[in-house]
Amino acid sequence: MLRFENVFFYRESANTISEVSFDLREGEFAALIGENGAGKSTLCRLCNGLLKPASGRVTVCGHDTATVSTSRIARDTGFLFQNPDMQLCQNTVYGEIMFGLEYALSDPEERKRRTGEILELFSLDGGRDPFSMSRGERQHVALASILACKPRLLILDEPTTGLDYRECVTIMGIISRLHSDGTTILMVSHDMEVVADFAVRALVLSKGRLIADGPVRQIMKDKKVLDEASLLPPQIPALAMLIGGDFSDVLTADEMAETAERAVRQKGARK
Amino acid sequence: MIRIKGLSFRYSGGVKNALSDISLDIGKGDFLGIIGASGAGKSTLTYAINGVVPHYIRGDFYGEVVVSGLDTVKAGPETLARHVGSVLQDIDGQMVSSVVEDELLFGLENFGVPHGEIESRIEESLAAAGISELRSRDIGTLSGGQKQKVAIAAIMALRPEIIVLDEPTGELDPQSSRRVFETLRSLNEENGVTIVVVEQKIMLLCEFAGRLAVMSGGKLISEGRVKDVLMDADKLEGAGVNIPRVATLARLLRKKGLYSGDTPADLRQAEAMMREVLSDAAV
Repeated sequence: MLRFENVFFYRESANTISEVSFDLREGEFAALIGENGAGKSTLCRLCNGLLKPASGRVTVCGHDTATVSTSRIARDTGFLFQNPDMQLCQNTVYGEIMFGLEYALSDPEERKRRTGEILELFSLDGGRDPFSMSRGERQHVALASILACKPRLLILDEPTTGLDYRECVTIMGIISRLHSDGTTILMVSHDMEVVADFAVRALVLSKGRLIADGPVRQIMKDKKVLDEASLLPPQIPALAMLIGGDFSDVLTADEMAETAERAVRQKGARK
Repeated sequence: MIRIKGLSFRYSGGVKNALSDISLDIGKGDFLGIIGASGAGKSTLTYAINGVVPHYIRGDFYGEVVVSGLDTVKAGPETLARHVGSVLQDIDGQMVSSVVEDELLFGLENFGVPHGEIESRIEESLAAAGISELRSRDIGTLSGGQKQKVAIAAIMALRPEIIVLDEPTGELDPQSSRRVFETLRSLNEENGVTIVVVEQKIMLLCEFAGRLAVMSGGKLISEGRVKDVLMDADKLEGAGVNIPRVATLARLLRKKGLYSGDTPADLRQAEAMMREVLSDAAV
C-alpha cells in the first residue's frame, strides 16, 4: 500500500530523511513517532508526493510518487494536516465537503448526495462557518472532508494536537472505525497513550533515520529505542517496567489490574 | 495572592456567561493547574487575573478579582503587569524581537528598569529558564520548546510575583513539554513565584502542580490538592477531562478490592501503590 525504499531527502527548510525503508500493507495501522524535528512531517509529505525523494523510491498504491502526479495520488490518499486551518478554505461546512469532492466525483448530484451522507455520519451542521468553530470542531470538519473521498490510505499528522480530551476521543473513534473497515492508516502522534491505545505497529524516527519498526506493544517497552528517540513510554508500560516480573508484558491499565489480581490470588492459594 | 470572589463574565455580544460565579483563592507560592474542555472558560479566567478582562476585552463583569492587593477593575493592566507576568497561548504573537536578548530587553526597558540592573536581570532570567546559551540566537531559528522558554525568561526578567500561562506546551513534544514544566517548578520552588497554568496534558499537571482547578461550562466544578481532585474520576469525565492512566489503574484496583489508599498522581506514587498491592499478596 505504501512503500519506502532507501529514501533520502534533504532541503534547508525541512528536516532530513536518511535511508528510510518500510512497507505498510493494506489494512495496517502504524504510528510514526519521534521527537520534534525528527522528520515526521517531512516523511508524511513524502508519502503523498508533496515532497519527492532526493534518492530512493516512494510508492503509494503502486504509484511511484516521483513520476505520478500528486492529484492522482490524492485520489487514493487522504492527508490530515496537524493544523486544520491549513486545509479548510470554504466558509460553510457544506461547501468545504463539496469542495473536497470536486476531483473525486465528477457528477454534481452524486457530490451533493455524498456530502449529505457525510454530514449525517459526522453529525455536522452544513450551514456553519468552520472558522467560528473550536479547533477540535475544525479538525472534525477537515477529517470529514477527507473521508468523503473514501481514501484507501489515510495519513494523519498529529490528529489530536490542541484538542481537549473529549474531542480527542471523538476523532480517534472515527479513525479507529475506519481502520476496522479496512483503511490503511499512518498516524504521526506525540501522545504515547493514543499510540498505545490505537496503533498496532510503530515506526520510530530519530534524526531522520528509522531506528525501529515493530509492534507497538514491543516498542513501548524498548527503553533503548525510546531513549535514543527522546521518547517517554506511556504511564502503564513505564510502570510495568518498574515492577518487572509477570508485569513486563503489560500495556494497559486493565491488563495491569488483572495481572495484579492473579498475583494476589496465587500467593493467597499458596499460603 | 489572588482572590476571586463571585466572578461572572460575559463577552459583549455573547449569549451566555463565559465565567459563572467563580470563587477561588490562590496563595503565595502556589502552583495551580487549570484544566477543562475547550470552551470551558480557562483562558477567560487567566484574562481575569492579568486584567485583560475587563480592560482590553469588554463585557459584563460581576464580582471581584484582587491580585497582590490590587482590585483588577480599578488597577488597570499596566499596573497589574508589574505583579502578573503572562505567557500567551499563541507564542509567536507574544514575541516582538528577532533576537533572544532583545526580547528580554524590550520588557525591561518598557518597565523603566535602571540600566545598571539590566545586565544582571537578563543573565539571571536566562539562567533560570535554562537557556543562557541561546542569548544571541535568532528567535526564528528556535524550536517550539526553546521559544516557550524565551517567553518565560522575558517574563521572569520583569520579576513578577505571579506568572500566568495559557497552554504553554500546546505544540510541544513530550520531552520539551516536561522541560517547560521543570522550568516552572524551579521558578516556583527556588524563586517563590506563584504559578497559574492552563494545560490539557493532565499527566503533566498531576506531576508538577500542587493544586488542580477543573472548569466546565464557565464554572469551577472542582478545586483542591491533585490527589483529592483525582478521586472523583466521574466528575472529571463529565467535564471532558481524562485522568492519568495510573489513576485509572487505582480505580480498577479499588474495584477489585485490592487497594484502598490515595490515588497516585504520577509514576513514582503508582509504583508505591503497586508495591503495596503486591506486598499484601505476599502476606
